[in-house]
Amino acid sequence: MDFEAMREYLPLFKDALALTVRIGWQGVLLAFLIGIACAIIQHMRLPVLRTVAAVYIELFRNTPLLVQLFFLYFALPKIGLRISAELCGVLGLGLLGGAYMAETIRSGLESIAPIQSESAQSLGMTGMQAFRYVILPQAVSRSVPGLIANVIFLLKETSVFSTVSLMDLMFTAKDLIGMYAKTMECLTLLVVFYLIMLLPVSVLGSLVERRLRHAEFGP
Amino acid sequence: MKTAILRRVLSAVVIFTLALSLSVIAYADDGDFRTLDEIKDSGVINIGVFSDKSPFGYVDENGDYQGYDVYFAERIGQDLGVDINYVSTEAANRIEYLQTGKVDIILANFTVTEERAEEVDFALPYMNVALGVVSPEDAVIESLDDIGEDDQVIVISGTTAETYLVKNYPDIKLQKYDAYAEAKTALENGNGAAWANDNTEVIAFAIENPGFTVGIPSLGSADTIAPAVTKGNDTLLDWLNEEIEALGEEEFFHADYEATLLDTYGADYEDTLVVEGGVAAGTDAAAAND
Repeated sequence: MDFEAMREYLPLFKDALALTVRIGWQGVLLAFLIGIACAIIQHMRLPVLRTVAAVYIELFRNTPLLVQLFFLYFALPKIGLRISAELCGVLGLGLLGGAYMAETIRSGLESIAPIQSESAQSLGMTGMQAFRYVILPQAVSRSVPGLIANVIFLLKETSVFSTVSLMDLMFTAKDLIGMYAKTMECLTLLVVFYLIMLLPVSVLGSLVERRLRHAEFGP
Repeated sequence: MKTAILRRVLSAVVIFTLALSLSVIAYADDGDFRTLDEIKDSGVINIGVFSDKSPFGYVDENGDYQGYDVYFAERIGQDLGVDINYVSTEAANRIEYLQTGKVDIILANFTVTEERAEEVDFALPYMNVALGVVSPEDAVIESLDDIGEDDQVIVISGTTAETYLVKNYPDIKLQKYDAYAEAKTALENGNGAAWANDNTEVIAFAIENPGFTVGIPSLGSADTIAPAVTKGNDTLLDWLNEEIEALGEEEFFHADYEATLLDTYGADYEDTLVVEGGVAAGTDAAAAND
């Protein structure tokens, strides 16, 4: 191991981490917004919008992020719509993630037996109250493990960004290997930096999960 | 209590040993190659070529590998009396593929540089090359000083153009891609002000794509392109050198040019590009440069 070289590459990896985290989290945020919107549309069974959401979810769940990025970055300019590489990354992650988030939230909502809502209403709650105080807390607590898994999945998907010329962690490592052929050093740094990015998410996620279990089972 | 501590210490030792042996294996893997006799015995040689770099190494409409590099590869297989297994490679993978033994020879327009020569062994050269820059006709870049602060220059990760610009023009913003096809599409779409690469490649691009012109036809040092083998694979290296010298007598690489490159470059570039018998005019200059 050439530690001197590793120290030299460190600033480049830091830049790459900053870019990966920035685009990654913007994408995750967008994914949450889209996911919540779609889940509500589907849960409320809103006409027309429901079909649109279903088509969107199936379209983006069943195509790889790589293909979506290619489409956004290389195909859209042919019809005069140019999007910057960074925006492509955010949009790609957001659209892919939105489909997954929607499904996770929806399955959480659907996992609560309808009888609970009916019981709450027979006790005098309005439909909105039943949803707010009975259904939602349980649904959220059931969705959280899936949502956290989605977040980690999305952050790892950033590794295909090289295709649209974004210098994310993966591309930075590949690029340095191509130039200086220090494979062991670069790949070790790569693993370490991915852990720096994802371990906190994973640990925090477990904490949140445990905390939210209270909604279902009490303290 | 004591056994619990002991257990922890023991597991730490085991993990440490495992990690250590893994890294040892990783290093031991470095010298992984097949000698000439092993290749002949197996009846198959693995050759790494480009699949998207027309007219040097590409896959034609029938799914067959074609191009200047492939024409030479075919001859190698024929003279060795073995079948060829083509392995498609990207620019940044070429050294890796040799070091991990995925291929026996890299014949993927591999420019000889000092850095690379530390990692792999180059045989005698079979082509000349320099860098070039292609840009749109309505905003031609004729000097690297023309490049504005906000402009980005497209390069392909792992190429000599990238290394050259990083070293000599650290202020120029690079837009990096990992495959030729993507870099070309990006230039067509106007994502960058220009594309820097081997001049052979940018000239071919400008000829095939109206609206683009090569504003800088020659940049950096005059280099050569040669086959590469895994470091220390002397039997294969010696055979390749003898082969290239012998092929010089029949003007093989001129025939190669006429079969694969003539359509793209015309006859004018034949003597500039072809290196016959492993004797390149600019070899000394290239070694002194850098």
